Amino acid sequence: MKRAFHLRTAALAAALLSAAACTSTTAASTASSSAADAAPVTLTMWGTYGNGGNTAQTQALAKLITKFQSANPNITVNYVDMPYDQLKQKLTTSAAGGGLPDVLRSDIGWVAQFGKLGAFAPLDTEMPGFGDVAKSTYPGTLAANKYNGHYYGMPLDTNTRVLVTSPDVLAKAGMTAPPATFDDFKAMAAKLPAGTQLFADSGLQGWNVLPWIWSGGGDITDADVTKATGYLNSDKSVAAVQMLVDLYKAKQIPNLITGNQGGTSTSDGLPGGKYATILDGPWMVDIWGQQYPSFKPVFSQVPAGPGGSVSVVGGESMVMSETSTHKDAALKFIQFTLSDDFQLGMADAGQMPVVATAGTKAATAHPYYSVFATQLQTAKARLPIPDAGQVDTILNTELTKAFNGSESVKDALTAAASQIDPLLKA
Amino acid sequence: MYVCFIGLPMIRAAQISLFHWNVMLPQRSVFVGLGNYSKAFADPIFWQALSNSGLYMLLTVPPQIVIGLGVAMLLKRRSPAQPVYRFLFYLPVVTSWVVVSLLFKYLFADQGVINWLLTLGRADAVPISWLSGRFTAMVAICALGIWKGVGWSMMIFLAALQGVPVVLEEAAEMDGANRWQKFLVVTLPAIWPAMAFVLIMLVIGGFNVFISVLLMTGGGPAQQTEVLLTYMYNVAFGNLDFGYGSAIAMLLTVLVFILAVIQMKAFRTEQGAQ
Repeated sequence: MKRAFHLRTAALAAALLSAAACTSTTAASTASSSAADAAPVTLTMWGTYGNGGNTAQTQALAKLITKFQSANPNITVNYVDMPYDQLKQKLTTSAAGGGLPDVLRSDIGWVAQFGKLGAFAPLDTEMPGFGDVAKSTYPGTLAANKYNGHYYGMPLDTNTRVLVTSPDVLAKAGMTAPPATFDDFKAMAAKLPAGTQLFADSGLQGWNVLPWIWSGGGDITDADVTKATGYLNSDKSVAAVQMLVDLYKAKQIPNLITGNQGGTSTSDGLPGGKYATILDGPWMVDIWGQQYPSFKPVFSQVPAGPGGSVSVVGGESMVMSETSTHKDAALKFIQFTLSDDFQLGMADAGQMPVVATAGTKAATAHPYYSVFATQLQTAKARLPIPDAGQVDTILNTELTKAFNGSESVKDALTAAASQIDPLLKA
Repeated sequence: MYVCFIGLPMIRAAQISLFHWNVMLPQRSVFVGLGNYSKAFADPIFWQALSNSGLYMLLTVPPQIVIGLGVAMLLKRRSPAQPVYRFLFYLPVVTSWVVVSLLFKYLFADQGVINWLLTLGRADAVPISWLSGRFTAMVAICALGIWKGVGWSMMIFLAALQGVPVVLEEAAEMDGANRWQKFLVVTLPAIWPAMAFVLIMLVIGGFNVFISVLLMTGGGPAQQTEVLLTYMYNVAFGNLDFGYGSAIAMLLTVLVFILAVIQMKAFRTEQGAQ
């Protein structure tokens, strides 16, 4: 009986298939376009919410996606989580092979590069009422999405790095508050217990060193981003980096900063009491909450130097791929990500809102956000150029030479500036 | 099959290497002739990567041959335990590069097992930061390469050793040859073709080292352990400069091809001489 049913179904399917094959292409396309509004749509979204084992974020996202789907029953969002360090490569191969997802949570640093490539769609021309929606976000993060007169991304979340201090080490050093200035910071080194180093970071890219350079009163380029020489190797930039190099030579900064892949990571070293301070973002609250539940980090402003306390703006944007076949649904989802529901829902899992009104509400619910919100008032963005990745490689390579002592800080920064100059003009 | 999966991609790579390639809109690519090749020759990181690939090849090929052959000689005789040993020595060959690369990264970490062993019983000993310097990191990467490759050369040599005529070995013994003499005069010439095969394949494999470097150091610190393939990968997929990446790939192909031809010629002349 069952077998007969299967046979009948198979015969019916075959008949339908052959009928479909005989239908003219025109007839088929007319039918599909008239049914487009009601037809169920599956959007594919890529992101890195689960990076570093962050299940708090993926769970928060899953709840929000369910909420969106119940409000839009014909749209299903299929979220695919990827490791942060592989997403860019995956994006590149998919852009070349035509396999991009409909929407993507992209690092703000990649938007210009992929916008230039033609992989991301210009949202200001694709999204009706883009101007009004975009106006609700912080201007600094919005600006990072602009390339060549178009916006290729919609700000999704923002963040910055602040000083994070281990409370145990602070107590052992006999201090009541984390170091607030460059001088306090250097002086803290002498008070530390044995086996604890003053500061750790995992690289020498813009994200790592710019807070020190800016706080030291230096800069990476002029305000119009046309020249690095004269800015990156200015006396103030040199002095800020020199401070770190001196601490490195005094063994107060581990060689994790010069790329030792075998060193203890900052996220383990700080709770473990190996490092006294690090610079990090708001997502660490949830990561430590899961991995070191008893660790209560102390957040404070980046130590102020001659230039004040200036950190670096990070964050992510929602982008839509140029090749998406469900652009209407994709735009609808992107708009949803700016709603209070989404912004506050993700704020509970460590993602700072980009919508100003949501930001105020989030700071009330999560007091530690206020440190980040204050830091964001002076924080600056990295270079908004397509070759931003190469700038990071240059900084990392040249500064490693200064840290290892094979070159002076001045020479290393001069060499870096001369390599960055041509990328600014490109 | 060959044309489709090997020939065409190679021709395409050669074509891309002559352009400032736009990966999304290839028709907008700008022809630069040999520009990408001259860029490589003037690029210090390219030379650094080439020398690291060469260093890896030099440090991993001889141990793989010597140890592989040594183990094969030991496992040549039939014994009940022999299949077990063959299996154990061959096991690293079939394990995933990704898994063992991460494993070796942890072994050579500052707080890893290697440092624990080296500082055993010495409380004041400072652990070595293996992955923080060019040469120490290359040692760790090469150690993985040798550990993972010995089983493969052992297998080839084992097969070759089965073909060594027993009559000749017995004749040598009767002539009063000791084990070393017997090895030099009878065994080695008999397995010479296998030796040529192993050497050529290992040299090609040495220049193609990629996954272990990418996962253990990522080419760092400061691009000091970059090998040709990781550099090509970073240039193409990090900077989206596919033209330059393809040029590096073509240069590697030419280099490996020339080395293979030289080795084959050398082995042929030597065989002819014998």
